[in-house]
Amino acid sequence: MSNAIWAEDLHVRYRAKNGKWIEAVQGLSFQVQAGEVVGFLGPNGAGKSTTLKALMGFIEPCAGYCEIFGEPAGTLESRTRVGYLPEVALYYPFLSPLETLTLYGELQGLHGRQLRTEALHLLEVVGLADAATKRNKTLSKGMLQRVGIAQALLGEPELLILDEVTSGLDPVGRKELRHILHARRDAGCTLFFSSHELSEVEMLCDRILLIHNGKFVEERQIPELKAELRNYELTYDGQASLLDLTEDWSEPKPGEYVARFHSKEALIEAVDRIHQSKGKIIDVVAQEGSLEDYFVETIGRAA
Amino acid sequence: MRKIRCWNAIARAVLLEALRRKDLWVIAILGFIMILGASALGFFGVAGLEVFVKDLSVTVLGLFSTIVAVLTSVRLLPDEIRNRTLYPLLARPISRFDLLFGKFLGAVFASWIGFLSLSFLTAIALLIFHVQFEWVMVQYLVAKMMGLVVICAVTLALSTFMTPQAGATMSFVLAFGSSMMIRGLVMASDSASAPMKGMFQVVNAMLPQYSIFDMGSRAANIGWSAAPLWVMGALLGYMVVYSGAMLVLSWSKFRKQAI
Repeated sequence: MSNAIWAEDLHVRYRAKNGKWIEAVQGLSFQVQAGEVVGFLGPNGAGKSTTLKALMGFIEPCAGYCEIFGEPAGTLESRTRVGYLPEVALYYPFLSPLETLTLYGELQGLHGRQLRTEALHLLEVVGLADAATKRNKTLSKGMLQRVGIAQALLGEPELLILDEVTSGLDPVGRKELRHILHARRDAGCTLFFSSHELSEVEMLCDRILLIHNGKFVEERQIPELKAELRNYELTYDGQASLLDLTEDWSEPKPGEYVARFHSKEALIEAVDRIHQSKGKIIDVVAQEGSLEDYFVETIGRAA
Repeated sequence: MRKIRCWNAIARAVLLEALRRKDLWVIAILGFIMILGASALGFFGVAGLEVFVKDLSVTVLGLFSTIVAVLTSVRLLPDEIRNRTLYPLLARPISRFDLLFGKFLGAVFASWIGFLSLSFLTAIALLIFHVQFEWVMVQYLVAKMMGLVVICAVTLALSTFMTPQAGATMSFVLAFGSSMMIRGLVMASDSASAPMKGMFQVVNAMLPQYSIFDMGSRAANIGWSAAPLWVMGALLGYMVVYSGAMLVLSWSKFRKQAI
């Protein structure tokens, strides 16, 4: 599978308002393969938006290299295949969503009836068909974010780079967005996005990349990570010894024990032992681990 | 063809902004005030004041068209950067030069529309009182429109190097004071030593020569003939070279600017 994004030892710095140079990205290397859905995570100020801007060519890296589908990032060839949603969605207040999409579509190389049909279709997809001719300045933050999503989808890009994709969207909007992104993924589009909404990341992504202070921290496959974070809580009574299977156990009531296991195998073994020792299983609960806890813990370790 | 489509789309957005932000409506209101002014002059008897009225009209036309050109051009890029509307634009497969040039074209068209609308209203206002411009007025309009192109290019260049407020101030100083500065430089050059003379001449050449586009006196006076065609050709040449240089200057700053 070919790389949709390839970043190698990327360094990006910018001058702050006080005149000091800030190295926002420090030697970041990663790859995103074509067709993958990758979440780009990190706390505020980690360098996510700066990295995405470098991929779009808005900022020139001071060292390192990044490519989009084999073309140097920021070139016209690379941008032809990318749809981009900026972190803060501001669109011309004096244009309507339809006019906004028409403008961006023309710059994308679309024109005529094809452009109008696509613009109207996308406005319908993002739920803005009724507001197509209203001025952008009269739209809410969430509606503007929808305009942003629609403009990113113009021209059916092969790669979507989305910065804080769920920002400003209500739960209904998030669900609709999830459907849209799933449809794009099913159509073979590569998705690379940053978000603070870990539940969305969990539902959408194949893989996550974690950065902190401009440096790479960790990358994880979501199914593996979920399996790792999943645990099973077993409540039982009796005299079975489970100490070699887990150290995480408690006795909430006299004679009744609660043990937690990180693997299904350990749980099955525990159930066997309880039966053999004539004990009684009172309850078994499977708990999905929290990505938030994982995030906080991992970033805490990296800090 | 694709580039022309891009420039057209960007210029159209600038024009729409100028129209919907009601910048050009200000021109219409000013035109209406001018009609009222002309009515007052008519009330007191305009006979014998024809040259004065026409001179006043071309001065007002020059003043307000310059204001529109400067105020439209100066916010093109700074506003885009401040409002972050630049990101979705530059995410498209267009170069920064295409964006700059499209914006420049939009500013030029907006100031042309403002200028021509005001000229039309002025001509109607004066016609009411039987004051007529001669055909040399057309030449005045064409020359002024070329002058507006240079004003837009200079203002755009200034706005890429300084804040919009500073850029607008600097552009107004150049637009209304360059002829005075140039006269001062010429006088200083006459009495300066050889090396200083050369320096004054270089500075003079670098300043925008807006006064050469002002054919107001020729249009206001009665019976003056039109300027020869080669003069218009020379003005066109100056416009292309100077505006081109300003655009290159803007682009040299904007092309690597982190946004």
